[in-house]
Amino acid sequence: MSTLQTIKDLLEASLTPSPTVIILGLAFCLVAPILLHFLYSTATPYTTLPSVLLLGPPGAGKTALTTLLERGSSSDTLDGPVAKTHTSQVPSSIELSVNSDDPSTSYKTNLDNESATAKKFLLVDTPGHPKLRASSLMRLNAAEPTIKSSLVSDGGAKSKIKAVVFMVDAAALADGDALPSTAEYLYDVLLTLQKRFHSRGGSRAPASMPVLVAANKLDLFTALPAALVKSNLEAELGRIRAARSKGLLDSGIGQDDVDAGEEGDWLGGDGSEKFSFAQMMEFDVDVDVIGGSVIGDGPGAEKWWKWIGERV
Amino acid sequence: MLDTFEILTTSGVVLWSRTYASVSPTVVNNFITDVFIEEKSSVAGAKNGASAAENPPYKHDQHTLRWTFEKELGIIFVAVYRSLLHISWIDKLVDNIRALFVGLYRDELTKPNTTIVECLTFDQYFDQQLRELEQAGGKSDARAFKNEVLSEDTGDEPPSPPNLTRSQQAQRGASPGSSPNVSRPGTPSTNHLLVAKAGPVAKMSRRARKMQNTNSAPASSSDEGPARKAKAKPVKRGRKWDADGLADEDDGVQLDYSVPTLTSDSEVEAGARPGAVEEVDASTWGSQAKGKFVLKDLGDEVHSILADADAKKSAATKTDAPSGLVGSGLSAIGGLFRNVVGGKVLTKQDLEKAMKGMEEHLLKKNVAREAAVRLCEGVEKELVGVKTGSFESINARIQKAMEVSLTKMLTPTSSLDLLREIDAITSPSATSLRKARPYVMSIVGVNGVGKSTNLSKICFFLLQNKYKVLIAAGDTFRSGAVEQLAVHVRNLKELTAREGGQVELYQKGYGKDAATVAKDAVAYAAQEGFDVVLIDTAGRRHNDQRLMSSLEKFAKFAQPDKILMVGEALVGTDSVAQARNFNAAFGSGRSLDGFIISKCDTVGDMVGTLVSIVHATNVPVLFVGVGQHYSDLRNFSVKWAVEKLLSSA
Ligand SMILES: Nc1nc2c(ncn2[C@@H]2O[C@H](COP(=O)(O)OP(=O)(O)OP(=O)(O)O)[C@@H](O)[C@H]2O)c(=O)[nH]1
Ligand SMILES: [Mg+2]
Repeated sequence: MSTLQTIKDLLEASLTPSPTVIILGLAFCLVAPILLHFLYSTATPYTTLPSVLLLGPPGAGKTALTTLLERGSSSDTLDGPVAKTHTSQVPSSIELSVNSDDPSTSYKTNLDNESATAKKFLLVDTPGHPKLRASSLMRLNAAEPTIKSSLVSDGGAKSKIKAVVFMVDAAALADGDALPSTAEYLYDVLLTLQKRFHSRGGSRAPASMPVLVAANKLDLFTALPAALVKSNLEAELGRIRAARSKGLLDSGIGQDDVDAGEEGDWLGGDGSEKFSFAQMMEFDVDVDVIGGSVIGDGPGAEKWWKWIGERV
Repeated sequence: MLDTFEILTTSGVVLWSRTYASVSPTVVNNFITDVFIEEKSSVAGAKNGASAAENPPYKHDQHTLRWTFEKELGIIFVAVYRSLLHISWIDKLVDNIRALFVGLYRDELTKPNTTIVECLTFDQYFDQQLRELEQAGGKSDARAFKNEVLSEDTGDEPPSPPNLTRSQQAQRGASPGSSPNVSRPGTPSTNHLLVAKAGPVAKMSRRARKMQNTNSAPASSSDEGPARKAKAKPVKRGRKWDADGLADEDDGVQLDYSVPTLTSDSEVEAGARPGAVEEVDASTWGSQAKGKFVLKDLGDEVHSILADADAKKSAATKTDAPSGLVGSGLSAIGGLFRNVVGGKVLTKQDLEKAMKGMEEHLLKKNVAREAAVRLCEGVEKELVGVKTGSFESINARIQKAMEVSLTKMLTPTSSLDLLREIDAITSPSATSLRKARPYVMSIVGVNGVGKSTNLSKICFFLLQNKYKVLIAAGDTFRSGAVEQLAVHVRNLKELTAREGGQVELYQKGYGKDAATVAKDAVAYAAQEGFDVVLIDTAGRRHNDQRLMSSLEKFAKFAQPDKILMVGEALVGTDSVAQARNFNAAFGSGRSLDGFIISKCDTVGDMVGTLVSIVHATNVPVLFVGVGQHYSDLRNFSVKWAVEKLLSSA
């Protein structure tokens, strides 16, 4: 009886317009959505895995490498270690793990079976088509360690880019036409990294960004060896640098801030006549060129894997 | 007949494929690039989840591609065959495979951070579909399709040729005369045998069929009964035999028993369709003599999946009605919360209003309606079903998606470094076998857009970079045009003489054929060692047939390395039509290489014209003119344009 009475009282009190009730109601209305939100957002997995960004012109073999590394470690290989691939339109990421005690362990060893401590990371494959590059470069730009920007897919996962693998088709570079377009992309990548270095300011020691130029398809006899890939790219990058410094200003840059426009576009150390990857060291961008192949009986992908393993 | 069938993700990994004749990967690559990335206007609006029949076939190098796109999961289904062949059932195959694949592997496909989908078992499903459709497709008339649709609903396969002969025998022997089947007009069986095509799979399964034939033919029908009973569907089996001697109406009841997976939807459908009973009858006739039980089960599974997918589709179109007042109220409140805190799955309704706003915004920026509508449609399609990020409003999400769309549209496919291109032509590297020659560039456009002015601006830029430039007066039509150019050349000479610029005017007065003048100018430049030839042309209205047609001859004679068109950024010009007509004026083998958009300084943020013309032609913008001085020419920056377009000031 008394309980019923209290319930009745409570109900009455809650329905009479008193300040407490109103405030309580308001507070509930305001807090509930926020609480709900956190409930939902924590329910989704919140990865903070480091990631490695895979860039490069179309047809270089980025997706092929991605599938190779993914399939190589899983014991049940489907139809060969590399899946058939076609032109990519959207980025995709895969989860891989390296042996953190010994980065040189082959990507083929299944770490689940071994006692070694595995370090997980994401490999992010990006489309190489020129129209789709802008977003890849944007990721790179936003990759500042201070900001945890949403980099990997729209799923809310957040990740920090630890290294960049720029893949080139060494066989295509041999016959000229591919060189300018490949170098152009690489130029934009390096320039973005360089600008990122500048924008960070000198207050903190900036994290370096290693770049691997992976010369792919060395299984083909027409392919250029890694050393030639390096020198050709450097020469072409130098040419682009020279041409851009002479070129027209971009729209949106007024005549007055000419200086700002020019400063920003000069890649590598100032004043030097010839461009070399070593000049990028100044901006904490380490560039290595390593040859390899995804398919065929070439040098394989172990060296790349080791390089990646050492950086994550 | 089918060359290859591939199931691939938008990230470029082939999940499953079947190849009968090897097709170069470039075919599919080109298809992806043209249809999905560059969205060439001929296949406009292709990116939604429409069925294969609605998507225009893509043709490339003797191959035809039929395809469909599962947007939600980002999977493309594509069938490649020789263009010479006509395969009537191909889009049906593509659609069915899509429904099957998605139905079977949906869970695997939504897994994050992996490209592996275990789908080795899909082979048998594909074979089943292919065989089924090939057989159904054997019937030349439209009935094949109807039959196919029906058999989907009932969960049974259409008859295969040997089975039919078998059933006819049975019909004759068991219930002569009294069978309702006799009254059926034009039994499909005869057609069927005659026209059945021998595709790869059909061939493959011939032995199987023969075997089945020899196995089952001598055995009497009743002997077969127990065997089947043991295996799968005793109920159906028993009832069927009764039905043969009974009245037609019973078949309707039977439907229920024979197909446990039948949804109420399809039941109604089947019942409502005239002639349904007959068709169903035919298909069960076929199946009763089936020898391969495993296959039969697979067929059942396939059909139940397909029926499921169908039901879902029709359900999706129907159930938009609000579920009661309370339910809608709650969901509305939830939606409001989600609007604020993000994490909302966007629906068409959510987007509609916001998209209207975006469209208005673009129109205000002077984007042509056609382009604005298509951009918004693209973004809307992209966003339906997408979840907004934390604390991200719908508008912010749309803004972001629009930025990506605009960037993608305006970014050129190949790099546009003019100086390097000129260098490659005028001083080719030792390895290439080309001979050095002058780089030829010509400028076209309607009257008064600033062709000569922009030509002079380019010339000034080239002179600053120490090129030797010849300006050819190709406007032999409008009086005063040559003199105007001469003034420009004199100015340019003065301006750049100190820095060592060399520029000359090549002119042959008025009345001469412009194409010939241009050709002579190029020859002269080669002789005199000029680096670049800039050819001015007469302004012409884009709807002036006679003048426009002379452009084709001009392109043939002068062989320009680059043809640039000057367009105005001003509000209210019919820039889209201009761009289209000029782009088409150079004959089939040639089109515009780029645009110069003049007078950009006069329009402020309203740079929508840029978008309109790029949208209409797929030709990139190279330069923008931003003032009256020779130095007021800028490289077109996509970022700049996108910022201006989306700025809300
Ligand atoms: N011979 C040879 N071919 C390779 C090698 N790696 C990749 N390919 C082939 O190169 C082609 C393109 O590979 P993809 O991985 O799709 O190229 P991608 O870099 O992802 O290209 P986009 O997605 O367009 O940016 C495929 O046909 C691969 O089979 C290799 O090491 N040797
Ligand atoms: Mg790829």
